[in-house]
Amino acid sequence: MPPGDEVVLRVENLVKHFPVKGRVPFTSGGVVKAVDGVSFDLRRGETLGVVGESGCGKSTLARMLVGLEQPTSGAVRFGTSVVHQARGRELRALRRRIQIVLQDPYTSLNPRRTIREILLQPFEIHPDVLDRRRRIERIKELLDLVGLDPGLHLDRYPHQFSGGQRQRIGIARALALSPDVIVCDEPVSALDVSVQAQVVNLLERLQEELGVAYVFIAHDLSVVRHISDRVAVMYLGKLVETGPEVSLYESPRHPYTRALLSAVPVPDPAGRQGRQRILLAGDPPSPVDPPSGCRFRTRCWQAADTCATTEPPLAAGAHPVACHFPLAA
Amino acid sequence: MSAPVLTEQALPPAPAAPRRSFLSGYLRQPVVALSVLVLLVMAVLAVFAPLIADEPAGAGADVLQPPSGAHWFGTDDLGQDIFAQVVWGTRTSMVIGLAASLLAIVLGTAIGLAAAYFRPFDAVATVITDVMLALPTLPLMIMLAAVVSPSVTTLTLIIGFFAWPEVARLIRSQGLVISAMPYIDGARVLGATGWRIVTREILPAVVSLMVVSVLLTASRAVISEAGLSFLGLGDPDAWSWGRILLNAQRSGTIAIAWWQTLFPSLAILFLVLAATLAGTRFNDTRDPRRNGG
Repeated sequence: MPPGDEVVLRVENLVKHFPVKGRVPFTSGGVVKAVDGVSFDLRRGETLGVVGESGCGKSTLARMLVGLEQPTSGAVRFGTSVVHQARGRELRALRRRIQIVLQDPYTSLNPRRTIREILLQPFEIHPDVLDRRRRIERIKELLDLVGLDPGLHLDRYPHQFSGGQRQRIGIARALALSPDVIVCDEPVSALDVSVQAQVVNLLERLQEELGVAYVFIAHDLSVVRHISDRVAVMYLGKLVETGPEVSLYESPRHPYTRALLSAVPVPDPAGRQGRQRILLAGDPPSPVDPPSGCRFRTRCWQAADTCATTEPPLAAGAHPVACHFPLAA
Repeated sequence: MSAPVLTEQALPPAPAAPRRSFLSGYLRQPVVALSVLVLLVMAVLAVFAPLIADEPAGAGADVLQPPSGAHWFGTDDLGQDIFAQVVWGTRTSMVIGLAASLLAIVLGTAIGLAAAYFRPFDAVATVITDVMLALPTLPLMIMLAAVVSPSVTTLTLIIGFFAWPEVARLIRSQGLVISAMPYIDGARVLGATGWRIVTREILPAVVSLMVVSVLLTASRAVISEAGLSFLGLGDPDAWSWGRILLNAQRSGTIAIAWWQTLFPSLAILFLVLAATLAGTRFNDTRDPRRNGG
């Protein structure tokens, strides 16, 4: 199913600041600007990849999208509802539409529950979705859908499964209520490389069959490229570039994107010859006290005076970039 | 839909149900077996006390007899049989120990779990718990027991009320670990209510800790009860080990009739030791895979 034009999830200027305690009691040590003004639209059946290095706010973004974290400002809109303002029945309805696949398959399933109990849980929380008698049948359907043998597994505990199998169970749980959006928070980074491919392919197949939209968060650029229709690059709590997968990977316009892409290993020695690798100096600046103007300027090789004074906006268009001196396409 | 390709094979069938093997592994330790045996014997004595010995009352002819075939544990200055007193005392001690400990467990678990999951409540609960732990418990218990009319019920309430903070702290610390697990986030995203998460996801993870707590708290409650009774604050209508000691001290026979203090003291020692050992060994034997993670 190709991505449609209908927007299912609209993120508007989302901000999350975490207050930090100061060294002196009763003083504030400032705030960590984990996510600082992120906006994007997610269309039905589309995959938006979000990449960025550790600590850039990817996971905080994911947690806000599913309502685990309350944003400081901004909104996540699903249809006519605002995720963080919904209460009661509206919130329950939203929960069914937006689900999450967690990062670590070893801790994302309750070790004391059998697979049957874990997969029945969504229906117990939302008893109106499915008649009690049809639930076991539906669980088997779900297991079949995620490539697990539906006959065997129901009364086993999570520790009796491998990492890849557990992640499939986690995906089955997320799919149980037939959501429109699944936020995948680094769903494969805890898995072996060989299993990563299986899980990513599974997610792609499920999208084709069910038309679910993904926000796919990862730090592995090749995995993101494989699954995404559009990619957003995040740096220190802000999106620096978003665009269709092909154009972003083939002709990155933001220096940071270029640097990230140049760090992806190329499995072909011949292909490495003419390649220019960009090594970024130092660590990302502290999100407590980000640089003025463009946040990337402290590590950017083409920073100019403007960059320190004016913050570049994420310009509109098909392939927007937040840079005063975007690279030639 | 194409048939799914299964490259990861399911593991071979699991060994026997872990629950049963855990219990038998626990009971197979000699120390545990002995402790459980002692606890069982005490429980039988408590339940069937009227069948084993008459309730000691009135004065008898044999005064201050040392242990013999007729009076296994000897007699006191009123001629009452010490064995009968100890057996009937087992009843009071176990009832108060268990009831007070259950009260402490219920209070402590509720407060500990609520503190672990509901963050705003945690600050309040922690302060209250710390204050309770810092209070000098024994003097307060003595004061309270002196104010209210002493009976088995009031003793239970007083001892239980002063025992919950340690349970709450224990349960909270384990609950905090569980609340931070990603599967709790998973349940929240599915729309589970706080009540459901606490009772269905966190509570099962602290049950084994509760078993340990019941045993350890009960043993402390038995000591508290004996102490209060020895101080004359026990239920005057119920025999208890502390009361036997009190009688010995009051009548001045404590210096000459060693049997009057030895046997109730041994009873206290055995019960407390058995409960403590059973509790700590249970804690040590818990399968780490089915616990915490």
